[in-house]
Amino acid sequence: MDAVERENQDRQKRWAKEQKVGEGAYAVVYRGREFSTGRRVAIKKIKVGQFKDGLDMSAIREVKYLRELKHQNVIELLDVFSNKTNLNLVLEFLDSDLEMIIKDRSLVFLPADIKSWMAMTFRGLEFCHRNFILHRDLKPNNLLIASDGQLKIADFGLARDFADPGFKMTCQVITRWYRPPELLFGSRYYSSAVDIWSLGCIFAELMLRTPYLAGESDMDQLKTIFRALGTPTEQEWPGHTKLPDYVPVGQFPKTPLRDLFTAASADTLNLLSKCLLYEPRKRLSASEALQHPYFFAIPHPTHPSKLPKCTTQMAPRPLGEVDGNVDMVGSGPGVKAAAPNKGRLKRKITSPMDDPKTRSIARKLDFTKHVKSP
Amino acid sequence: MKRPLYEASTQYKNWRYSPERLSQIRTTMNEAAVGVIRKTFEAYEPGSSSNVSFVNAHEEHLLVTFYVHKISQLCGHFRFPEEVEATATSYLKRFYLKNTVMDWHPKNVMLTALFLATKTTNNPISLDAYASHIPNTVASDVLDLEFLVSQSLAFEFAVWHAHRALWGIWLDIQNLPDSLPDIAQTQKSIYDSALSHVRAARLTDAEFIYTPSQIALACISLVAPALAKKWLESKANITIPENQTDIPPRPSAAALSASIEAIESIITETGKVPNVEAVREVDRRLRTCKNPEKVVGTKAYLARKAEAEKKAEEKRNKKAEGQKTNGAGDVDPFGDPLAEPVKPGLVDYDDDDDDD
Amino acid sequence: MATKSNYGWLQGRTVRKGGHASSNSHTRSSTPQVQSTSTTIFGGGIKDPSGRTSEYFSMDDQCPVCKSDRYLNPKLRLLVSSCYHKMHVHFSVSPCESCIDRLFTLGPASCPNCDKILRKLAFSPQTFEDLGVEKEVAVRRRIAKEFNKRLEDFDDLRSYNDYLEEVEDIAFNLINNIDIPATEERIAAYKAANAALTTLNLQREEAEALALKEQEDLERREREARAAQLAQQEQQEREERQREERELIDKLETSQKDAHKIVAKSRIAAAKRSSARAASSSANSSLLGMSFGMDYAKLLKTRTTKVNNVPDEPHVPFLDDYYAYDDLYTVRAEGYDDIISEAVRRDREGIMRAGGYKVEEAWNRALLTAVAGLDAAPLSGLDEPNSLGDVDVVMESV
Repeated sequence: MDAVERENQDRQKRWAKEQKVGEGAYAVVYRGREFSTGRRVAIKKIKVGQFKDGLDMSAIREVKYLRELKHQNVIELLDVFSNKTNLNLVLEFLDSDLEMIIKDRSLVFLPADIKSWMAMTFRGLEFCHRNFILHRDLKPNNLLIASDGQLKIADFGLARDFADPGFKMTCQVITRWYRPPELLFGSRYYSSAVDIWSLGCIFAELMLRTPYLAGESDMDQLKTIFRALGTPTEQEWPGHTKLPDYVPVGQFPKTPLRDLFTAASADTLNLLSKCLLYEPRKRLSASEALQHPYFFAIPHPTHPSKLPKCTTQMAPRPLGEVDGNVDMVGSGPGVKAAAPNKGRLKRKITSPMDDPKTRSIARKLDFTKHVKSP
Repeated sequence: MKRPLYEASTQYKNWRYSPERLSQIRTTMNEAAVGVIRKTFEAYEPGSSSNVSFVNAHEEHLLVTFYVHKISQLCGHFRFPEEVEATATSYLKRFYLKNTVMDWHPKNVMLTALFLATKTTNNPISLDAYASHIPNTVASDVLDLEFLVSQSLAFEFAVWHAHRALWGIWLDIQNLPDSLPDIAQTQKSIYDSALSHVRAARLTDAEFIYTPSQIALACISLVAPALAKKWLESKANITIPENQTDIPPRPSAAALSASIEAIESIITETGKVPNVEAVREVDRRLRTCKNPEKVVGTKAYLARKAEAEKKAEEKRNKKAEGQKTNGAGDVDPFGDPLAEPVKPGLVDYDDDDDDD
Repeated sequence: MATKSNYGWLQGRTVRKGGHASSNSHTRSSTPQVQSTSTTIFGGGIKDPSGRTSEYFSMDDQCPVCKSDRYLNPKLRLLVSSCYHKMHVHFSVSPCESCIDRLFTLGPASCPNCDKILRKLAFSPQTFEDLGVEKEVAVRRRIAKEFNKRLEDFDDLRSYNDYLEEVEDIAFNLINNIDIPATEERIAAYKAANAALTTLNLQREEAEALALKEQEDLERREREARAAQLAQQEQQEREERQREERELIDKLETSQKDAHKIVAKSRIAAAKRSSARAASSSANSSLLGMSFGMDYAKLLKTRTTKVNNVPDEPHVPFLDDYYAYDDLYTVRAEGYDDIISEAVRRDREGIMRAGGYKVEEAWNRALLTAVAGLDAAPLSGLDEPNSLGDVDVVMESV
């Protein structure tokens, strides 16, 4: 025990904690520096012993997987040290995330930019899948961007190993808007295809600059998906009506993707559609995606250093709180010093002034002499 | 040169030793522990330590191995999957490469290691459900050591296992050119026997010296040496594609045969449950040579605790002062380095050394 | 009180129901903030232009029946009955959802405050702080559906104003519970007399809304087309510039003339070319809409003229240097006879397949584990660093 503690103290000395940049129910995040090189880091201090079942599952998952994964497009865990009752994760410090960039209206995306981000995301994801790890929480918010433009997948709090045959997994994973229909239908046996669906949604979002499939409830999410992609038939998706939470949600026709993604090339739509296939087994795998013609076609993916960068100011942000739902806590480890309040409004189609309904409520008595227009 | 996936794992990087090194680690740790405990005894009761018969490294190992076997029994009782059993076993064994049984008795460490393994392998069970199904155990017995165990494991929770490698070899054997299509059924007894050897291997040091694939191959070799050789040769004969000059060379039967033989003898010689009588004897002696600082209620424990609290108090005051005088000089944001490592009896969850 | 209720609803604190913040890391589980405890879906409520209901809530809310409040029950949801009781300053009289369930599940019953008979479905979520306002808005909405004549439908302004006054009168009566039966008759009479015109106006309104949407779509498409075009232009510019450079270098190499003169000549040519381009691009952008085009072009120019001129490289699928033993094994396409995955492969209901479980992934993992590290030679001797147990540094050297 002496040796272990001493070792931890030595480790601790390599890192300087500077300023708190985020706080949550079970962890506090600091910005910090490596003494020897001066490089910026984020130190996530996780308090142990908070929960009645001991060390929190999210914390365990983060440490377990980040310990083993070293890849250019996966956030890097630089060191781990503990003292008494705190587990400290030292992570690379990342300035912004894809969500901030998408929402920053002063930035313009070229098709080449989108291609570059997608390539980096697919590479990171392929690496996770190569190591038999499902991420299960892919969304723009969890795709962090380094100062050199490299994209890194972060937040492994919901990740897990591929399941051995016959073992059930929870279907309550992935943020709703990026969740595939098989999970919405309650499937307990699934595969890496769930992450691919999320990537498809992110791909669409990069093109639309707004979330593609934004439902307001789990039921509504299914409807939103079906409205966008058409209700699946038994032939398209064998057996889906037998899934545990299956309910018919309405018959919607298939509308071609081209109608919405008017500026996208054929390759783009081909890749997008293959990520959003209903039958999970038919969806592209990450490694197949990386070899899709879309990436090889002109224009070449923008070099990461030239990608659009976020311009919004940084401010300390709160980490996710415990939601009261099983073991989903906290936010990603590679916390940047910011995120403005994330209240997000859907884009309105009509403005209040024009809406006939409001007009009829606020009718004015008009006493002026009025010449009727011809 | 490309980096093989397994060699990037923490298992390969940090939990691999030579047999000589293992022995050295255990001996050194045991001797150091004896020294410290003897001193503690002497501090409270001069001369008391000469009557104490300390356990030696070999006996420690015996005790740990016995409790490894207990894990297997518990897993059967709870019907935990093989993955949980194998992982918990690794955790327990690794723990005792960093700690001595005289500080922490394997009885509780084992329960904690198993509980932790259910979490890290995604087979979680609620603490209450777990503790209530184990006789004479309350939740805090399990939870109190969780941080300590995790810390001793350096929070490296991912473990590669030989039983999965065995499954893989068994699948791949169906692919051998002269394998009959029904080989999986007609030769099923080979698989079953090999699996029992894999389980026996868990009682040994094999996983610290060899890789899971090597262990699995050795287990098959014990049952069906010709088949094992045939499979290995099929791997060795795979030609390296023209353009790939940067992948490691093929595994060769010649190079491996020494390892396989070594593993086989490890399993046959040490892959057994220790004799219960011998274990009881060690346990008995352990009661007298346990580190008093770790035993709740003894003079030494209380003294240690008081000392730790005093130090924490000092640190808090110093910190408050430091803040008042606006950070005079170099105040380490993590708090002052401790003069001596503090040995609390159990982890004190309320004591947080940096509360900013 | 009057002033407060007149403007309270304009400034009222409303909370958006539903998972808009679900992309927020807060709501990872993406449950909406207000969760219904009953199985009846309460439609009702005032909807805002985008079609969603915002529910009003305050920390002071308390159910008059069971007295549970938000402190004890954070998911408290108070609903308003169709009889809209007048409000006490801080506490609303709306019963909570669970009380409604309890009281009305067996059928209609009387309101606990007044004695009007109510049905369960008559309850709707509350949108405004002031219940009076809630009622008024609901009444006006209903009226607006019935009375939707416009100025154009009248011969002169006077008759239009008369009509409006009549409507207001009816509304006032309904809101303040004056002469309800008589007022309802007036509504019925008007409805009968003006059915055709009302329907026509409804259609007109719908058409207008549709036209607006189309216009927005069109604008959006234009914008995207513009963006694509400008991207193309930028690409052309880049290529041209590269070509120029190459030509220049060639010329410098091969020609006998003075180097300075050559460079000067090419500079002039380049300037001419770029001004021609600028002229044509501004002409183009003026076709598509001046202001936006200019800003966008400017933005692109700043991007390309930045110091960083790193070229975009062709895509390479994998950029890491890991070896995953792929040449040492293959997962057999026809599968395996494998007892461990027996149940999965049988999968009578097709549930595992529908969910997308791929047993191939599990086989892949097993096969990989079987060959991983097969060639790793064991360590020997005591040639490790001297610490107790080699706990390696996690960080790789940069």
